Amino acid sequence: MSYQINRRDLIRIGAGAVLAAPAVFAAADAPKFFTPAEFAIVDELTELIIPADDHSPGARAALVAVYIDARLAEAFEAKERDDWRNGLQLVDELSRKMHGHAFMEASADERVQVLTRMAKNEMKPKAPEEEFFGELKHATAHGYYTSKIGIHQEMEYKGNVMLEEFVGWEVK
Amino acid sequence: MFLPADKTDEVDLQKTYDAIIVGSGAGGGMAAHVLTSHGMQVLLLEAGKKLDINKELKSMEWPYDHPRRGDMPPDSHALSGREYTIRKPPYAKGSPYKHVYSYVEDGTGSDYAKNIVVDEKDNPYTGTDYAWVRARCLGGKTNIWGRLALRLSDYDFKAASRDGYGEDWPISYADISPYYDKVDLYLGISGHKENLPYLPDSLFQRAVRLNPAEVKLRESLGKMGRVLTPYRAGVTTDGLKHNKYRVHCYGRGACDRRVGGCDIHAAFDSPTGLIYPALETGNLTLRTNATVNEVTVDKDTGKASGVSFIDTDTGQTYAAKGRAVLLAASTLESARLMLLSKSSLYPNGIGNSSGHVGHNFCEHLMGPGVNGLDKEMVGKPRTLDDGRPGSFYLARFRNLEDRSQKFIRGYGFEGGSGTGMFPDNAFGTPGFGSAYKKTVRDYAGAFIGMGGFGEVLPRFDNFVELDPEVKDRWGVPVLRFHIKFGDNEKKMAKDMAESAREMFEAAGIEVLSVNDDLLTEGYSIHELGTSRMGSDPRKSVVNQFQQSHDVPNLLVVDGSTHVSASCQNPTWTIMALCWRSCDHLAEELKKGNV
Repeated sequence: MSYQINRRDLIRIGAGAVLAAPAVFAAADAPKFFTPAEFAIVDELTELIIPADDHSPGARAALVAVYIDARLAEAFEAKERDDWRNGLQLVDELSRKMHGHAFMEASADERVQVLTRMAKNEMKPKAPEEEFFGELKHATAHGYYTSKIGIHQEMEYKGNVMLEEFVGWEVK
Repeated sequence: MFLPADKTDEVDLQKTYDAIIVGSGAGGGMAAHVLTSHGMQVLLLEAGKKLDINKELKSMEWPYDHPRRGDMPPDSHALSGREYTIRKPPYAKGSPYKHVYSYVEDGTGSDYAKNIVVDEKDNPYTGTDYAWVRARCLGGKTNIWGRLALRLSDYDFKAASRDGYGEDWPISYADISPYYDKVDLYLGISGHKENLPYLPDSLFQRAVRLNPAEVKLRESLGKMGRVLTPYRAGVTTDGLKHNKYRVHCYGRGACDRRVGGCDIHAAFDSPTGLIYPALETGNLTLRTNATVNEVTVDKDTGKASGVSFIDTDTGQTYAAKGRAVLLAASTLESARLMLLSKSSLYPNGIGNSSGHVGHNFCEHLMGPGVNGLDKEMVGKPRTLDDGRPGSFYLARFRNLEDRSQKFIRGYGFEGGSGTGMFPDNAFGTPGFGSAYKKTVRDYAGAFIGMGGFGEVLPRFDNFVELDPEVKDRWGVPVLRFHIKFGDNEKKMAKDMAESAREMFEAAGIEVLSVNDDLLTEGYSIHELGTSRMGSDPRKSVVNQFQQSHDVPNLLVVDGSTHVSASCQNPTWTIMALCWRSCDHLAEELKKGNV
């Protein structure tokens, strides 16, 4: 059973806005692949996909963008990086088209509208920004649900421990 | 836990060992155990490395404690299922990646098995599409096997008599049953007694438990006369007093999160289950990094005189001598080795006067299956469904007494439900935002799925041969495949998908998806045949004691000798047959008959 995705399943987006990196990075560990502006978009997109709620923190707290950045930085094929960079550009373009300004300059509502548009044909993506949504979501889900927050707080996973008895019903 | 130190023994090249065993997986390990127990001096040769396996597996490492969450380094590539059909073997040819691995390295936590499975770049093969998974290291594939441990019955051994296709095995269940018992007791097996004539019970230790969706399916199937039973795992669930290298299963769940493997060795693996105990007898010499490239022959007697092997690090070739040679290099590698062992006495390869070596290949087809949702479980508190070495097995029900199907033979299903560490539905649940997050959370434990394993008929024209041109990294000719599923397999696959859907619907499980596509040949990693047993030397390669008809001191003790695949997983049968044959060999050697 496949619980984790393939490395190459992870990757695709593009660059655009020029804004400050969020506070998740200490000065010493800036993004390894993304520009600070790109990183800010990725961080925001992942949090929009898996936000903090009353049950647990979201993708931002789980440092999902940091994980995506690290994987892209060491990716074997340049295409993986290019696809993400291009994808992020598409997000900005779509935002400009819909609201007249770049994604990170858009309001919270407008950002959700951009992502909603990208997710429109999720099961059968056609447009490049729709394909990018698939990559983005896959990477986010993978990064989040393999993180400490995802495993222990969100999913409340109690396994990977020594059990004296198997859980469940004995067959009679 | 103490494991024997990482040392390679010096092979005494002057000495004539009582037996030389080629390969250290289920068959080779068992042969080492049985022959050393009989006091024989045994040399065990393994092509791969001796790994510090616990350092490889790290069964309880959390994903977030690994820099790539368990994935391989970036310069490594695992073949995807699609690559096996859109490209042609050798699949690693022209790949820009430094290392290329088979599909088992795709997806789950593959960094933990990268030193266990072979690099396709060093080990190419040619011919028809085939997903060939190989493990070259001490213990071979037993280090990462799926653990389902089933017995065969006379429905399998005498299948040809029942439906007229192919050949019966030269043994019946009564012949092998005592040896299944020995394997059960020596290695440990978990399961629940069902008293089925077509899926005989083992001497079970504590069974795994079922969760609500699985209980629901079991009860519904019971009304149809079909049996869903707790996973029969080749895992000791109560412990084994006679083995200091293994402890009982603690339900940590690691076995399905990774490619496989168990660093407390509750799951059977050949090194801790068989080889280390055999080393303690003082009768076993173990040489790793030794790729056997020929079975040598005594020209005067026509018997096997030993083997020639290549040191995989230095490339240097050595010869070792033995009174008997046992091949357990895996079904396809053993066939390759026999074909490589050409001499003036045996121009078609050793033991191949019948021309059947490499032929009559059979295996299990995979692909068809169903995924469903048990709505009653949505939003319920999650339980530790992965805290067990397997979930369920659904026994064969086709062509037992009623044989009205459009195909012959049968299939079973492996399946499970509930939550693991990673919520698989995170990828399939549409949308984003808090609604998405909550849906993933609420539904994670409510899914149930199963996939079929069907009997692939042995056919003479499904075969492997030596490629006349392509060689592996050590200059040894590689295998060329001529293996294709036939009409019976395609009809069976269709029925598997249809019956899977019907069984879920009958149990009130909402069907989410049904798959009826066959995966590439080889996917089940249950390759069998190629040196089948039989009593007629014109139509078979070995006798019922796995002795070559042509060369009595040459045995083949891996899956090669299976006459038909059955639909039950082969590992337990490989070991039971091997035990029986090695008892026989020891006796024959004592009598001077071999």
